[in-house]
Amino acid sequence: MSRIIADLQASLRDSEAVAMLSGDGGDAILAVQHDQAVLLNRAAFGRHIENAGEENRQWFQLGPEEVFFLCHALKCITVQSENKKQMGEAELWDLFTSTSEPFPEMYEAYQHLRLKNWVVKSGLQYGADFVAYRHHPALVHSEFAVIVVPEGKAFGGRCGRLQVWSDLLCALRASGSVAKTLLVLTISTKGCDLTSSDCLCQLIVHERTITRWIPQQCRELRDNPSREEANWDVQIQKPCREEASREEQEDTGEGIVFSYWGVILSFTIISALAYKLKF
Amino acid sequence: MAATAAVTAGNRRRRSRAPAGGAGNDDAEEHHANPFIDTASSTSSRVQFRNVASRARWVEEAGAAEVVESKGKLWLTTGVTRGGKLCYNVEEIGFLVEKSALILLNDKDQTIGIEDIYEKIAGGKYGCSWDTFQAYKHLKSLGYIVGRYGVPWTLKNSSTSDTNQSFNKVDGTCSDITKSLKEMHIDRLTPSFEVYLPNSMFKKSSPGAPNFLLCLLRNKPFARVELEMLENNFGGIPLKYCHVDNNGRVSFLCFDEVALPRLP
Repeated sequence: MSRIIADLQASLRDSEAVAMLSGDGGDAILAVQHDQAVLLNRAAFGRHIENAGEENRQWFQLGPEEVFFLCHALKCITVQSENKKQMGEAELWDLFTSTSEPFPEMYEAYQHLRLKNWVVKSGLQYGADFVAYRHHPALVHSEFAVIVVPEGKAFGGRCGRLQVWSDLLCALRASGSVAKTLLVLTISTKGCDLTSSDCLCQLIVHERTITRWIPQQCRELRDNPSREEANWDVQIQKPCREEASREEQEDTGEGIVFSYWGVILSFTIISALAYKLKF
Repeated sequence: MAATAAVTAGNRRRRSRAPAGGAGNDDAEEHHANPFIDTASSTSSRVQFRNVASRARWVEEAGAAEVVESKGKLWLTTGVTRGGKLCYNVEEIGFLVEKSALILLNDKDQTIGIEDIYEKIAGGKYGCSWDTFQAYKHLKSLGYIVGRYGVPWTLKNSSTSDTNQSFNKVDGTCSDITKSLKEMHIDRLTPSFEVYLPNSMFKKSSPGAPNFLLCLLRNKPFARVELEMLENNFGGIPLKYCHVDNNGRVSFLCFDEVALPRLP
């Protein structure tokens, strides 16, 4: 993956690629040559826009983290606003942070993983902030559903994720039902000014996974249970999966006050699954 | 008749169409016992041990029970030995009495009923809360060997003051029962139990290192800083976390620090 990205970086730099911001959303569109399109696809950046009219160029839509990564970290594109005004890094940072308050921590998480050559895409459809793959999604299954949790006064009131059981267990359930491990990236800082992208080098990323442990499954490792213990187990001796499901059944309809899209979408996913199973 | 058969068949089909659980086993249907159907009450799920019930006498000063008559093999993995005497703490008593494997007596040799035992646990004065008891029962029922963290399985000395100390905390500085009880459930940064995988070769005289330590979480999940403090203090042995919700449902979680590799 590092080679693909290096090739992409070189190619975009050479052609002085320019991305155009599309409205206030923080998204941008980028026109590239065919070989660059291949690299963009292989590196899993952006979303290809079908355009039957164009023969020479291909268009991609990039999210704010992707735009900033290509601009700030890889330094291989420049960005213009929709009225052709060149946007410097500082202006881009201002725009992205004003559009989306959590942009600093989201971008730090995105950059942290991308710099380790993990493929990072939006995780909203899975109820998470990001999903991370070891390689291109077409080649591997996603390993992690990533939730970004900021920590520290600099982030103001945004530090509330995963602070209550319903939120944490909801995230765990959502990631589990799409067979991904929940990865929590805690972004901490001793105190820095988030109004400039200079703050990025002062942010520290902590990686932690949250996984369920099923005691019934671990038991298989035992040698010889004593007779009394074996008798007690009689009523519990069911296939591990059934036990696990009985243990884990949860009603996740409880109220949550966070307004993050990820949380809302993860609830949607869970209740959709619940309905599907009842019919 | 045919309609019922068709419905049942349909139910069976629907159940088999449920998506296969992934690694997280989260997709399966909920199982509800239907309380509206009149079925013969099933007491068969309860395993009776009346004939082989041990007897123990409650000792208030120790906050535990001394076994006076031991039957069966339960004692091999339950209770601690103090100066040759086998003693059970409240969660062990609760568990064993629920299984009818133990009869608890007071100092007048009268049986102490289960409601009084539940009172002792719920009161939280004897080193174990109701939630902690749920977690203890869950693992014990599955065959795990569970002991209070920091309490040695055997001690040769049986003098009263040592008994008091040893039931709560093996920490030279902490000889006061109240203080160590507070440490048990108010200080969140202490594991509650040390747990060994089910093992018929387990010996209290040389138990070895536990397979993991269990920390109980009730009100809110741990913050990153708390997790790191725990891992620093109790490093080496894996930590697992148990959440008991309002309905008494017990879930176990791992919060493992990882370092995602830099990929090629």
